[in-house]
Amino acid sequence: MNEKLLEIQGLSKFFPGVVALKDVSFDIYRNTVHCIVGENGAGKSTLIKILTGALRRNAGRILYDGKEFSPHSTRDAMNAGMSVLFQELNVVDQLSVEQNLTLGLENSTFGFERKSTRTGQVLEVLRSLDPTIAPQQRVGELSVAQKQVIEITKAISSDSSIIVMDEPTAALSEEEVERLFAIVKNLRHQNVTVIYITHRLAEIFRIGDFVTVLRDGQIIGTRAVSELAGSCASEVESCAELIRMMLGKVVAERYVPSPVDRSQRVLELNHVNSAKLRDVGLELYKGEILGVYGLIGSGKTEIARAIYGLDEVEGEIRVHGRRRRLDNPAAAIASGIAMVPEERRTEGLCTKLSIRENIPVMNMKAIARLGITSRRREKGLARGFIEKVRIVARDEEQKVALLSGGNQQKVVFAKCLNARSAILLLDEPTRGIDVGAKEEIHNIVRELSRGGTSVIVFSSELPEILNLCDRIILLYQGRVKQVLANGSDIDSEKIMHVVTGAGEAGNAS
Amino acid sequence: MRAKLSASGLQKLVLLGILVGISLVFSFTTRGFLSIPNWSNILRLSSFVVVTGAGVTLLMIARNIDLSVGSTLALTHVLFAIFCRAGVPVAPAILMTLAAGALIGFLNGVLVVRLRITPFIATLGTLYMLRGFTLIITGAKSVRENLPKAFSLLGRGSLGPLPVPMLVILVVLVLFILLERKSLLGKYAIAIGGNPLAAELSGINVKRIVWGLFIIVGILAGLSGVLIASWMGVAEPNIGSGFEFDVIIAVVLGGTSLAGGEGSVLGMLIGALIVEVIGNGLNQMNVLSFYQSVLKGVILVLAVLLDQNLKVRLRRAAAGEAVSRERA
Repeated sequence: MNEKLLEIQGLSKFFPGVVALKDVSFDIYRNTVHCIVGENGAGKSTLIKILTGALRRNAGRILYDGKEFSPHSTRDAMNAGMSVLFQELNVVDQLSVEQNLTLGLENSTFGFERKSTRTGQVLEVLRSLDPTIAPQQRVGELSVAQKQVIEITKAISSDSSIIVMDEPTAALSEEEVERLFAIVKNLRHQNVTVIYITHRLAEIFRIGDFVTVLRDGQIIGTRAVSELAGSCASEVESCAELIRMMLGKVVAERYVPSPVDRSQRVLELNHVNSAKLRDVGLELYKGEILGVYGLIGSGKTEIARAIYGLDEVEGEIRVHGRRRRLDNPAAAIASGIAMVPEERRTEGLCTKLSIRENIPVMNMKAIARLGITSRRREKGLARGFIEKVRIVARDEEQKVALLSGGNQQKVVFAKCLNARSAILLLDEPTRGIDVGAKEEIHNIVRELSRGGTSVIVFSSELPEILNLCDRIILLYQGRVKQVLANGSDIDSEKIMHVVTGAGEAGNAS
Repeated sequence: MRAKLSASGLQKLVLLGILVGISLVFSFTTRGFLSIPNWSNILRLSSFVVVTGAGVTLLMIARNIDLSVGSTLALTHVLFAIFCRAGVPVAPAILMTLAAGALIGFLNGVLVVRLRITPFIATLGTLYMLRGFTLIITGAKSVRENLPKAFSLLGRGSLGPLPVPMLVILVVLVLFILLERKSLLGKYAIAIGGNPLAAELSGINVKRIVWGLFIIVGILAGLSGVLIASWMGVAEPNIGSGFEFDVIIAVVLGGTSLAGGEGSVLGMLIGALIVEVIGNGLNQMNVLSFYQSVLKGVILVLAVLLDQNLKVRLRRAAAGEAVSRERA
């Protein structure tokens, strides 16, 4: 436990005009789970990229098992025993589980694969991690969580002594997270050290041994988790000390009731059915922030897609009291509905375009007269929004691909605000965004509701729902199970009970 | 796994059904269609596409493409005749021609792998270069004088009851079906086409594999060139224009995804036969070539459409099965 496996000493990395890492030093001990947290732009990804050979450092040194370590490529790092579990999973969907596990490590005769005892060993590791995955199954049929298990198996069986996990739970359901954590906790017995990068503070307390906090490219501190847990007692979700370390200021996330106008029902869903939805009904009032909470697969995104005209559904949708047929997003936008989609990079933005070019796309009228766009107006519009939602960028010409996740999301918000919609759908609005930017985005939402906009927040993060929403709809397997009014007396344990379907084990398939 | 096997197997069955269906229609509308000489003609004419297509299937599985195969075929085709005319015995002349094909594949590899030009554009460039080169060295005239007798052996000879070209095709097909399904080359091609980064990180030398596939395609296009020349008994510099599209159509009809990651040599064979049967049948019906071209296009689009729809349905069925298995 107290043997140093990785010693990072005085590590620095400069990009033109930016110091990404400044004199970073800390140690990672053998067979521990070492968490790294920090806001976006704090330097986590840069640090990981240097460790895994994707970037070269400018100063400092890394000792790995006491020896100088400077990999030239990710492959190089893997050969040295440092594997990475990327967010974009590196498996081949078209091959079987076994073919994936042996990929690149085959024994062959005249170019034809030969079964070896190695294959058996690899499959044995897989069985020990997750016995439900069949070796002959096509990987494309597996869930994200199972694909992660495939990657972890590959890392273990190629004798990796370090596995870097970059936000591995981002796309997992609660149940899958549990399974992953069980595996991670067991890795130390396989002689594997885990470097675990996360935004979710609660996770640190569940699996971490140590936590290193980065801010603005510098080390704020490295603590033993057991020591922190003592000082934060039960409130791990908003562990004040960790947040203070990450932000340098305490962020108090609290629910503020919105000025809801109960006399104006702006949106109504009645008996909406689809492959994933069962008789869903809801109503939304002017100025209200409505939360839709459920686990992954409960139908949150499907409701958002139905309202936004992306999926065909049966049932009735009324906007401002009038029945509408919303069969494409253009119709939804015309009815005054805008959506911040789940995947901002692929669904929300044209990442190769600049901030200026991204903002007007949902409402070109704002920058055009007689069908001809004006660059001057576009610039003015972009500058206005950069100020309004506080997008941190060099200027409006910066490509959105180069912005941090939080700032990208603010561009998506600006895009929707420009559409001047009365109804805003937010699908996982702060997924993968650091705590500071999260709070800023929540404030934008609160401001909007004060201005009379009605908002539906679809989220799988309960704190977000509880901090933001006036009413909360609980979903389970495509059904509305309960509608709660938010308030100080709300019981999060009860909510978890409902959305996990714990109360109805009898009639769940 | 069983569900998946039957899904891809079913797809080939569907393709075969399309082939049989079209053949049935023609067998009713034209008299000579089902005759043995006609079918041996169909097989012979499709053989050039099949031989080259075997390599192109692997290349396209690895998310690459070679548009220059028609020009490669033309150049190797006249080179073979030129070698023979210059007095090189046929066997070494064949080897030299295949080596020329390999060299062309190597050069395509240089453009795509080393110089990182998009395969579509790089091989479009070589398509023009090689065609021009073929016309230059022949003066745009056919090579027919002073060819030895053995020149036609490969294209017209027979070994026992089996025509030699059939034998060549059989060997190429068996070899490439094995390569696709059982060899590391086939597996790596799927991995590269399915997820290039994963392939790279798994320690696969992606560049070398892709380069190698281009060389294989070059050699096979060369073999097709030799077969055609030997069959015709003469070399025409204008041969094989549009050949690349016949090959790509056969490969895509055969279920190979343009996005890479999946495909089948056997499917390509059926695809090539479908294309050839349509042309042959329409010829027999004395359909004017203008109309033939229109009809051929329509039938091909319909065939791909049908195949696509079935594929989606089969996938859904397979997915549904997986879900119900999980629930059970």
